[in-house]
Amino acid sequence: MQALPAADAENPHARRATPMGWWLLAPMLLWLALFVVAPLVILVVYSFCSRDDLGRVVFEFTWTNYARAFDETYLKILLRSVGYAALTTLICVAAGFPAGWYIARRPPAVRNRLLLLVMIPFWTSFLIRTYAWIAILKSEGLLNATLLAARVIPQPLELLYTPVAVVIGLVYAYLPFMILPVYGSAEKLDNALVEAAHDLGAGPLRAFSEVIIPLTWPGIAAGVLLVFVPAIGMFAITDLMGGAKVAMIGNVIQNQVFKARNLPFAAALGVVFTLLFVATYLALQWRGRRARA
Amino acid sequence: MNLLRSLLPLTLCAAFGVATAGAAPKGGKLNLFGWSEYVPQAVLDGFTAETGVKVNYETYASGEEMLAKLLAGGGSYDLIQPPDYIAEALIKGGLLAPIDQAKLPHFGNLMSEYLNMPHDPEQKFTVPFMVGTVGIVVNTEKVTTPVNSYAELFTEAHKNRIVVLDDGRELVTAALYIQGKDLNAMTAENIAGTRPVLASWFKLIKLFDSDSPKAALLNGDVDLGLVWCGEAAILHNEDKKFRYVLPTEGAHLFVDLLAIPKDARNVENAHLFIDYLLRAEVSKLVSDEFPYTNPNAAARKLLTPEQLANPASYPVSDRKLDTFRHIGDSGAAIDELITDLKNAN
Repeated sequence: MQALPAADAENPHARRATPMGWWLLAPMLLWLALFVVAPLVILVVYSFCSRDDLGRVVFEFTWTNYARAFDETYLKILLRSVGYAALTTLICVAAGFPAGWYIARRPPAVRNRLLLLVMIPFWTSFLIRTYAWIAILKSEGLLNATLLAARVIPQPLELLYTPVAVVIGLVYAYLPFMILPVYGSAEKLDNALVEAAHDLGAGPLRAFSEVIIPLTWPGIAAGVLLVFVPAIGMFAITDLMGGAKVAMIGNVIQNQVFKARNLPFAAALGVVFTLLFVATYLALQWRGRRARA
Repeated sequence: MNLLRSLLPLTLCAAFGVATAGAAPKGGKLNLFGWSEYVPQAVLDGFTAETGVKVNYETYASGEEMLAKLLAGGGSYDLIQPPDYIAEALIKGGLLAPIDQAKLPHFGNLMSEYLNMPHDPEQKFTVPFMVGTVGIVVNTEKVTTPVNSYAELFTEAHKNRIVVLDDGRELVTAALYIQGKDLNAMTAENIAGTRPVLASWFKLIKLFDSDSPKAALLNGDVDLGLVWCGEAAILHNEDKKFRYVLPTEGAHLFVDLLAIPKDARNVENAHLFIDYLLRAEVSKLVSDEFPYTNPNAAARKLLTPEQLANPASYPVSDRKLDTFRHIGDSGAAIDELITDLKNAN
């Protein structure tokens, strides 16, 4: 609640919160308290606990879970997960920005149809779409059969159960989450500003980097958050398409809960993971403020 | 139908010799917590049609997952299907309710070799459901050299052609066999001692999958596997080119059991369902769909010669077979080793 006066100072249209306003906020605050704050508190408490022989949580204070979380093995896994997520985000920006921009510049009727195409995959379960990728990438699958028949390759490519398959799966899963926010920003962008930049002598590159990017930055930033954060924690794709070979932080946490039955250690990893999310968010905020300044 | 329902408790009283009507189940429900792909829908439907008991079937993919949810779930499950070593841990922890064999008229169908095993020496808490082994499956069209042992499975020639169970304990066990050690001697030194063996194996493995390792074999992505016998039996039924062998160094025999958690609410219905599963014709239905080794002698008599000849379901061999015991905290060391090795690749 400390933030309220600051917001007032920044925004002259902001009004003081009335009792009615708090009532309107109540459902969301309740939701946040029950499903965000309470689980986070449990996570933090568990992360300092021990476990017994059967895997039940014992409320005995210990630092060991954090000591283990910062062990070389798990740091490497965390680093690798960040690497995969960063690569996924990069590809998603490279492919999603032009797509979102292009869609936003079409006439409304075409625009809506194109947006529908982006969203149609969500009508099918995520797992089914992942299995479809397995059918495409497997050694006797659609892709290899097509390339073999066209005599492009002499023997089947080994794609499935490799890191390449993991990145394909991740990019496929998260690309719409980049296109949609970029579209949202690009659609609101006043074309007159781009034209003004050209009139004032900016070349395409300069107009892009100094006008278009800063003005669509909120969309890009939202897209980066929506892709990067869930991609770090993804475990289904690494299991199904990566053959459970490449351990990512999501797999490790899942294994700690269901295989090793070490809830406290899983909680400690979860806390570290959450802090990483906060750090990403702050970094983007900082970059955004700098871009506006 | 209504008349039938109201008569049901009476019939059940007569059948089980329960003296007071109050103790008899009156329809109601049964919360079954079992392996995914282990109880055919026809069996559940048949049971409900006969007893009026509605079965809620919730599933898990590993014994450890079952244990985690059971400990967190507090009394929401009436009947579970633990593997032997998990049942042993549950018995030691006092988390199972005793089974009343007087309520199981078909208990006699079970073969004595699967009773009074080390996990439940007095046969007080568990009833065997299905038995199986972990062995090697080979696509003989692709692999022409003989593969009869872990040593012959994990060779450079099979690099990137192998699927193994994504199960740390099974992998450490295979490594212990090759080193000639007891598979239940899960001391810290023995586990650490398997590291070089496993490290060399992990370089050859294409993928880890416990849920459905048969998929990658059928897809042609791999040619060899270290898998549950039931998976191999299904592959063998699909195509005779898939051959199942028990490794010469020794193999893991597992017994999946039926057990009632201590705080179960529908204990009577759980007994009813256990006995239903023990009937020869019902047990045969399970074997038809999930071809593991059936410990039910009466059901085996109903199986076709082809089913009994499936080498994955009913291996004919004098190989050394061992069962898992509860290993307490060693699970954590195994998990750490496997995570570390996967990470190193």
